Amino acid sequence: MKKMREVVVAGVGITKFDSYDGEKGRPVREFYDLGSEAIQKALDDAGMEWKDIQAAFCGSVYCGTGSGHQAIQKVGLTGIPIVNIENACSSGISALRLAYQMVGAEIYDCVIAAGFEQMPRGPIQSTAWPVWQRQMGFNVQPADYAMKTVRYMEETGATEEDFARVSVKNRKNGALNPNARMQKPVTIEEVLSSRMIAKPLRFLNACPLADGGTAVIVCSRDKLKSQNKVVTVAAAALVTGIYGSPRIPGEDHVTKSANEAFEMAGLGPEDMDVVQAYDTMSPGELWDLEKLGFCKKGEAPRLLREGHFDLSGKLPVNTDGGLMSRGHPLGATALAQVIEIYRQIRGEAGPRQVADAKAGLAHAMGAGPNSGVIILKR
Amino acid sequence: MSDTKKTIPLREGLWTDKGHDGTPHLLGHRCLNCGEVFFPQKENGTCTNCHSTKLELIELSRKGKVFAFSVVMLRPPGGYYRGDVPYALANVELPEGIVVEGLVTDINQDDIKVGMEMELTIDKLHDDDEGNTLMTYKFRPSAA
Ligand SMILES: [Zn+2]
Repeated sequence: MKKMREVVVAGVGITKFDSYDGEKGRPVREFYDLGSEAIQKALDDAGMEWKDIQAAFCGSVYCGTGSGHQAIQKVGLTGIPIVNIENACSSGISALRLAYQMVGAEIYDCVIAAGFEQMPRGPIQSTAWPVWQRQMGFNVQPADYAMKTVRYMEETGATEEDFARVSVKNRKNGALNPNARMQKPVTIEEVLSSRMIAKPLRFLNACPLADGGTAVIVCSRDKLKSQNKVVTVAAAALVTGIYGSPRIPGEDHVTKSANEAFEMAGLGPEDMDVVQAYDTMSPGELWDLEKLGFCKKGEAPRLLREGHFDLSGKLPVNTDGGLMSRGHPLGATALAQVIEIYRQIRGEAGPRQVADAKAGLAHAMGAGPNSGVIILKR
Repeated sequence: MSDTKKTIPLREGLWTDKGHDGTPHLLGHRCLNCGEVFFPQKENGTCTNCHSTKLELIELSRKGKVFAFSVVMLRPPGGYYRGDVPYALANVELPEGIVVEGLVTDINQDDIKVGMEMELTIDKLHDDDEGNTLMTYKFRPSAA
């Protein structure tokens, strides 16, 4: 990849993630309300006005045509190019990667990436499976994860208790994050006695759904309103599926995305002080950490047991509670991962602050498949 | 027969009821260039591994081993699946070096294990809206 100029984060914005469905006293909020709130917060954080923004990339999955235009017109109408991106759970990171490249390539000096979602009410149609496979009952996302989990247990000896520990750690961190949908810790016993959804995965192994909005403004260093605690985008990588079968082992797309990002950043896993791994299902966080290169295959459960990934551990993981606590608004999730790393490096993470975080990695992956990695550094 | 209700396959081309040995076999494609095997057949006629278009139709082995499985406790979205819940799914690895996903039948769902020998069976999926019986391929414990 070509050498580009330095790209820095000017500001970030995030709404509280919640179910904005009008039930049980909760307010009804549309995706464009959540998106525009996050964008306005990012502008305030950056000390910028909408007229400073030269282009916008907006990630969402279920919000329909021109969703970014609808969110942005609540903030300003300045004629700038707005491009909407649907890349499943990696939509937000896909948007940020394009914003980063536009600034890095000196096409623009100041670009915003947003991600927002209002999850569909009722069952989500699973268009990712052909009809005959839906008729055979394959279209259950947790079942796919369950089968991966069974393999992981077979190959590493990991147990259901290990997976419960991921939920416990993340929900404990989430209790310190006012933006998270879930703010009550859970115990191992509660996880292991929650109802089974797809053996061996239980209700409390799964992240809850949520609605939410996120935004990240990137710019060239000279456009920053303050040179205090500057955070640089050290890498932005996006990798899709690579063919493989039992006969021909293909390269893992998650590992490839991490390797590309580390190479771009000129840093390695050992240089990361904080990580946002991908925990749609709690076992996933363990194999994700292994695939991203933070430990060898099968080592993550032991490191988790030893407290390595705790807030006070050597490598804190999902310090904001991860998807498990925040909830999962598909288009907003990936940038929430990035925003937590930014807060940690800035020293603005409040009660969940990691001591002296200089660099961190945010990961988002999912259907496609896609795997997106962002590395930020001081 | 005057009865207009029929027994029909879920989808044409997934299996043959009478293979070379007179028993049902899944139908796949083998790439004549790189040897990779695919199930189901590649509708676009192109090998995903090497992009060759020289593919031959093959009957896959009837038996394989459980590579991974799950017992699904919730009804899938969309109303396409009309069978019982919970139901068992397995990825079964065939000697050809591919993994095939399918429903598992004729077993206590708690007894499914990785490595267990499975064999192909053609079984009822459900009745469609016209009253026809839709058939599909499933896996069941191998009769040794
Ligand atoms: Zn081939």
